[in-house]
Amino acid sequence: MNCVELQQSLAEGEDVSSWEQKAHLQACPACSALVKELNLIVAAASQLQAADEPSPRVWNSIELALRQEGLIRPQRVPVSSFSARWGRARWLVPAAAMLLLALGIYLRREAMPDQGVNQASVAVPVANASDLNDADLLQEVADNEPAMMTQYQENLRQVNQSIREAQGVVDESPNDVEARRSLMDAYHQKSMLFEMAMDRFLQ
Amino acid sequence: MTEPRQHKGTEPSEAELIERAKWGDAEAFQALYDKHKRRVYSLCLRMTANTAEAEDLAQEAFLQLYRKIATFRGESAFSTWLHRLSVNVVLMHLRKKSLPVISLEETTQGTEEDSPKKDFGADDVALAGSIDRMQLQRAVESLPPGYRTIFVLHDIEGYEHNEIAKIAGCSIGNSKSQLHKARMKLRDLLKMNRAEKAGKSRAG
Repeated sequence: MNCVELQQSLAEGEDVSSWEQKAHLQACPACSALVKELNLIVAAASQLQAADEPSPRVWNSIELALRQEGLIRPQRVPVSSFSARWGRARWLVPAAAMLLLALGIYLRREAMPDQGVNQASVAVPVANASDLNDADLLQEVADNEPAMMTQYQENLRQVNQSIREAQGVVDESPNDVEARRSLMDAYHQKSMLFEMAMDRFLQ
Repeated sequence: MTEPRQHKGTEPSEAELIERAKWGDAEAFQALYDKHKRRVYSLCLRMTANTAEAEDLAQEAFLQLYRKIATFRGESAFSTWLHRLSVNVVLMHLRKKSLPVISLEETTQGTEEDSPKKDFGADDVALAGSIDRMQLQRAVESLPPGYRTIFVLHDIEGYEHNEIAKIAGCSIGNSKSQLHKARMKLRDLLKMNRAEKAGKSRAG
C-alpha cells in the first residue's frame, strides 16, 4: 500500500484497521501524522455540539407566534383570590382590558358620526392609556426580566407604530371597516404583549 | 380526555411536558425550548455560519415542531424528531439560497492535492495535543458550504453516512468522500492558523 492508496481508503470511510494500512502507517511518518491529525479533528468536533446559546429574542418571537396562532391557551389554575392570582402583576389585567375597551368605545363612536360625538375626547384616553401602560410595562420588565428589555422595547415600538398607522387610516376613513379591523388587530397585538408579560411574571 | 397531572415539587419529565404542550401550556413550551435550544441553535449556526440566520432557522424549527406536536406519538425520541426537523429546515434554507448542500463531485481516486506530502505553507507545524474549540469553530465557518454541511452532520451531530445520504439526497460514497475532503480542508486551515501564530510570535 502506498500513500495514495491509503488516502483513497480514508476517503472511502474505512477505519485504519487492515494490516496493509497499519504496515504503511508504521513505515510512513507523513501518513501517520496525517491520520493522527484527522483523528484529533474528529475528536474535537464533539465540542461544537450544543456549544452556543441563542439570544432571548428567539424565544420571545416563538412565544408571540404561538399566541397569535392560538397554540398557547390559558391554563386552569386553582385560585383563592384575585390578588393571590395576579400578585404584583395584577395591574396588567385592567391595563390590557382598558386598551381593548377604550378601543371598542372609540371604534363604535367612529361608526356613528351623525350623533355629534366629540371624537377628540374619546381618542385622547386611548392614547394616554397607551403611554401610561408602556412605561409601567417596561418598568415591570426592567424589575423582573432585564435581559428581555431590548426585546420588549422593540416589540412595543413596532406595535405602537402599527397602531399609529392604522389610526391614521381610520382617521381618514372612519367608515372603512377594514381599517377599523386593522386598528383592532394592532391593539390586540399590544394586549398580547401584556398577556405574555403577565404570564411570565406570574411564574 | 383528561388534562395531564402535574407532579408538584419535582421536575416534570419530557413526556409530561409534551402532553402539557399539546394542551397549549406556555410553560411546557418554554421548558421544551430551554431543554433543546442549544443543540438546535448550534446545529443551525454551524451549518450557516451566520448568527442571524441561525436564530431565524432555530425559531422556525421550534415553531414547526410546536405546530405538529399534537401528532407526536412517541414512536421515536422527541429529541431525534426535533433534530431531524431542524436539519431539514436548514437544508431547505440552503437549497433556497442555491448553496450546495453536499457537493455532487464524486471522487474515489486520491489526487496530488490530497497527498499528505503537500502542506500548504505549514510544513513545520503539526496539529499536536488538543485543538482549541474557537479555532475549530472558525475553521468550520471557513469551510465551503458543502463541506461544512457534511462535517457538521457527521462529525459534530453524529449522523451516519446512510442517514446523511437520505437527508441530503446523495450517495453514501459521495457522503464519505466529501467528509474526508472536509476533514482535510479543516486540517489545512488549522495548520495555517497555527503557522501564522507561530510566525507572529517569532517576529514579535
